[in-house]
Amino acid sequence: MKKKILSVVLSMAMIAAIAAGCGRAEGTTTESGDSKAPTSEGAAVKTGDLSIEIVAKGFQHDFWKAVKLGAEKAGTELGATVNFVGPKDESAVAEQVEQINNAINKRPTAICLAALDTEAVLGALSEAAQANIPIIGFDSGVPGADSIVANASTNNYAAGQLAADKMYEIIKDKVTDSAEPVRIGVVSQDATSQSIGERTGGFVDRMVELIGADKASVEGHDKYNKTIKDAKVIIEIGIPATVEDAACVTVANTLLNKSDLIAIYGSNEFAAKNIVTANESLQKLGSDKVIGVGFDSGSIQLQAVKDGILAGSITQDPVQIGYQAVTMAVKAASGENVKDVDTGCLWYTADNMQDEAIAPCLYE
Amino acid sequence: MTKKNSIGTQKIVAVLALVLLYLFFSIFGNNFFQYSTFISILDSSYYIGFMAIGVTFVITTGGMDLSIGTVCICCSLLGGTLFKAGVPMPFALCITILIGLLFGLANGLMVSVMRLPSFIASLGTMMVSRGLGSIITKTASVTFPQAENSGAWFRNIFKFKAAGLPAAGIPTGFILLIALAILMAVIMNKTRPGRYLLAMGSNKEAARLSGVNIVKWETFAYIISGGFAALAGISYAAVYSTLMPGTGNGFELDAIAGVVIGGTSLSGGNGSISGTLIGIFIMSVLKTGLPFVGLQPHYQLLITGIVLIGAVFADVLNKRKRK
Amino acid sequence: MTMKGIDKTFVGVQALKSVQFELQKHEVHALMGENGAGKSTLMKILTGIYSRDNGIITFEGKEVEYKNPKEAGDAGIVIVHQELNMMNHLTVAQNIFIGKETMKGKLIDDQKMVDESKKLFELLSIDIDPKEIMGNLTVGKQQMCEIAKAISTDAKVIVFDEPTAALTDAEIHELFKIINDLRDNGLGIIYISHRMDEINRITDRVTVMRDGEYVGTLDTKSSTKDSIINMMVGRAVYEDPKQQSSVPDGAPVVLKVEHLKAGRLVKDLSFELRKGEILGFSGLMGAGRTETARALFGADKIDSGDIYIKGEKVEIQSPKDAISHGIGYLSEDRKRFGIIGDKTVAENTTMASLENFMNGCFINKRKEKEVAQKYVDALKTKTPTVNQAVENLSGGNQQKVVIGKWLTRDSEILIFDEPTRGIDVGAKSEIYTLMNQLVKEGKSIIMISSELTEILRMSDRIIVMCEGRKTGELSIEEASQESIMAAATLREENQEER
Repeated sequence: MKKKILSVVLSMAMIAAIAAGCGRAEGTTTESGDSKAPTSEGAAVKTGDLSIEIVAKGFQHDFWKAVKLGAEKAGTELGATVNFVGPKDESAVAEQVEQINNAINKRPTAICLAALDTEAVLGALSEAAQANIPIIGFDSGVPGADSIVANASTNNYAAGQLAADKMYEIIKDKVTDSAEPVRIGVVSQDATSQSIGERTGGFVDRMVELIGADKASVEGHDKYNKTIKDAKVIIEIGIPATVEDAACVTVANTLLNKSDLIAIYGSNEFAAKNIVTANESLQKLGSDKVIGVGFDSGSIQLQAVKDGILAGSITQDPVQIGYQAVTMAVKAASGENVKDVDTGCLWYTADNMQDEAIAPCLYE
Repeated sequence: MTKKNSIGTQKIVAVLALVLLYLFFSIFGNNFFQYSTFISILDSSYYIGFMAIGVTFVITTGGMDLSIGTVCICCSLLGGTLFKAGVPMPFALCITILIGLLFGLANGLMVSVMRLPSFIASLGTMMVSRGLGSIITKTASVTFPQAENSGAWFRNIFKFKAAGLPAAGIPTGFILLIALAILMAVIMNKTRPGRYLLAMGSNKEAARLSGVNIVKWETFAYIISGGFAALAGISYAAVYSTLMPGTGNGFELDAIAGVVIGGTSLSGGNGSISGTLIGIFIMSVLKTGLPFVGLQPHYQLLITGIVLIGAVFADVLNKRKRK
Repeated sequence: MTMKGIDKTFVGVQALKSVQFELQKHEVHALMGENGAGKSTLMKILTGIYSRDNGIITFEGKEVEYKNPKEAGDAGIVIVHQELNMMNHLTVAQNIFIGKETMKGKLIDDQKMVDESKKLFELLSIDIDPKEIMGNLTVGKQQMCEIAKAISTDAKVIVFDEPTAALTDAEIHELFKIINDLRDNGLGIIYISHRMDEINRITDRVTVMRDGEYVGTLDTKSSTKDSIINMMVGRAVYEDPKQQSSVPDGAPVVLKVEHLKAGRLVKDLSFELRKGEILGFSGLMGAGRTETARALFGADKIDSGDIYIKGEKVEIQSPKDAISHGIGYLSEDRKRFGIIGDKTVAENTTMASLENFMNGCFINKRKEKEVAQKYVDALKTKTPTVNQAVENLSGGNQQKVVIGKWLTRDSEILIFDEPTRGIDVGAKSEIYTLMNQLVKEGKSIIMISSELTEILRMSDRIIVMCEGRKTGELSIEEASQESIMAAATLREENQEER
């Protein structure tokens, strides 16, 4: 008898909750109903009614906090309410799909999205299209989807190339006509994420270009391999089996331990941080030893750049990413044409870390 | 046949496997056989090792603690946040351990008083601790002080570095791990709490009828597990510096795998701390060594899984033979 | 010690109604009754495992109430349970001293415990190594440890619940010596058993319970077996040995075993079983009878030997094989191997023949319940419904459920291993009648039993084993307790001399 009462109470509670949720959704629909016609009729946007839903790839990471900062800045300037959400980590695809669905149900003015997995969100995208909600991609955007109006992101490939350029400047002598084979290590967080892939790929391609396609061999992972026999320069890619600190440190260790290693590159904060951690025991990095180049920031990496352990790193402009994403979202919602924006990347070293242009992009 | 043989042969096989593995990698891996790599293996084994020692007690009673991974991270997140807020490092560390003990107490009470299956209870704690970590730190990551900063001395507990020593330092963490392992092994085999845990794992009802206070000692096992998970968190911070909320899932399975490889049975009744340590080191050597022989990451996971299955299968065969 | 007006109700079932019991110092007082009469429940209340609803218990003149076995134990009241409660991963010494370990400072002194155990065993003339792991001992030896554990405390009252079920005659002899010593020392002993001859040998008084109520107390010396049984059951029961074989002369051989070798305990066994026959298997503990049964049933590996069923050679490598050849096995340890405790009577009954109860892909639960009810009625199994979880039934009734399982399967060759162990006189009689009926219907039964009276009462022919070999084959006409015992103790050296 007790059990029955309990289940009835619970069912009623659930129904009540659903009803409440529906009620609110109704409310939002009627409100923003006015400002939604725009894309087809070009009507004016009513300020104060703008709401932008932003679904990022994550929530914890300081990078996303910087994005949020920029987004909110744009929101204040343009008079739009900005709601920023993201799943618990970058592998929680299902959670993100739910968040996107929730966002669409709220019937906002526009949505900004950085999808973990394009296939998984296609359904949601078409629903948004039907409801006439424009979607702006940011950071890695939604690769391969047509319904995305435009993207605000770092051109990761170009960023990778920049890293290669800067590193080449430093190691030029060692890689040109070296007597003994030399090795350049590359630590990549995974082999699946698009942004990481572009940063790694951009770096590798550019480095090969600079050294000479027939003089550099790429090994270590099927995704990037291009083996050239008897090449004097070996570019070795290391990717940990799982996205765990311990596994990445091991990979970095393996590379740092190679006696012919002259330089090493980490294509995101995770990789760079673990290279620095691995180096603690080995002490192989430094301006007169192995040259280290990183990506993004984070307190460990920043300290390493400051101390000269890393020659320098590439940073994205997460604040710009957020800012541009929201700006474009508002423009798209009012019928304007918007095009992709490259939010840019910067090279920072111990010397210029404090500069006005660079400092805000760096986070602890 | 004496009591020791209950896990004896399994342990010998495990030690043999460990030695063989190490030799294998030394011969076939580039630069595997050197001091810094050795330190690497140790570094990556501390946090799993402490967790494994703690959870061995729970497994001995026939229970399971899935929360150790996230509790590990949650406790050190809280500790780090406190330190950043101005609490002196020694206090922050103590509070970290205290939080771990509290989580353990919660688990213990749920299992022994509320009679929840341990799998479910610890699963709940796992999710709670994960969420709690995110809430308290406002989803920001926490970085523990690095060398030369105030409060960084705690790293010396695990890695002692000084001029004149090799760059990798002395693995003081290893000494701590071994010391605690010895202490816990004595508790398991030679004191009443340990004896009662073994009895409960073998036949809980019989133990109860023999006057053993089931509630008290079962809770005890989970408190130990929680405390060690917190210690694991501190060692993780010492090695990897930055902790991110929402992580920690998966650590518990690595720890439990180590326990099982070491010979402790998941159905309870026998518990070997030394076996656990060996199991952990086997996994560490595998994880660290496989990249050295040039295996791509996907193969590493595959091989680790095969080793785990092989180890447990060997144990089952062994038990069957003895019958 | 007295108990007065004890009531106890479990979920919907009144187990005890106004029961009384009284025990004096220097006394061995038997507690008898059919299964389900409430004996174990009463004792569990006394020793603090259960709580009582009503009534008063006094001990040494004071009113007492024990909340858990530890309290009762500290006060000096100890129970040796019917179902073994041992921690199989620990050693013998560790089991005996659980909860009262000898300490050296903060650490347990295992060696001292081993020494103390050795002393205890010497006192009791038991040959067990205290360092042995409990799980490796046979059921009989485990029970001796359980008894030693009870005696090792400073007990004033010891309750023995079916202590001799798994003991050899020699061990029983030793036990009785010990009990007598304890009685002389002033202890009060409560002895629960179904074995009439033991009651006669050792007890001073007998209290009988029936259906949860107190019936009466008799003085052992001045009462007859029949009067006691009458009180327990309300009817007379006969227990005389069988006079002659009831197997018709030309009966075909249904099972033939040649030179069976299995494991350590079955070395070389050959015998035949005829249709409609009850073949008794007698012998001491460890003779290899249970192991033979398990090998024939495919539960243990057969090393070598041939098995012929109805003239055809068969391979038995698993219980599934054995069952498909029509063999059913009632194990001696039903709690571990016979019943599936938390499943119902109905589910247990159909467990070995589930494919006959299918409706397409689904189990026909109605049919299952019908068949289960049929056997509950036939065997007079005491259970409220067929939906009752088997673990809630008393030992004897659980046994009946297992028998029901094999009857449902319609197995032709039934191996009953200690079928009436832990079952009261009334139920025993029902099972005997049932067995006779089964063989009349053409089934064949191998009955393994350690009770000579039972062997002599039921068997048409008797095979005696000793140390894994057949040491005697007697027809019921020529068999006697002495001739069986002689064969059972015929060890290898003696065999060769013959």
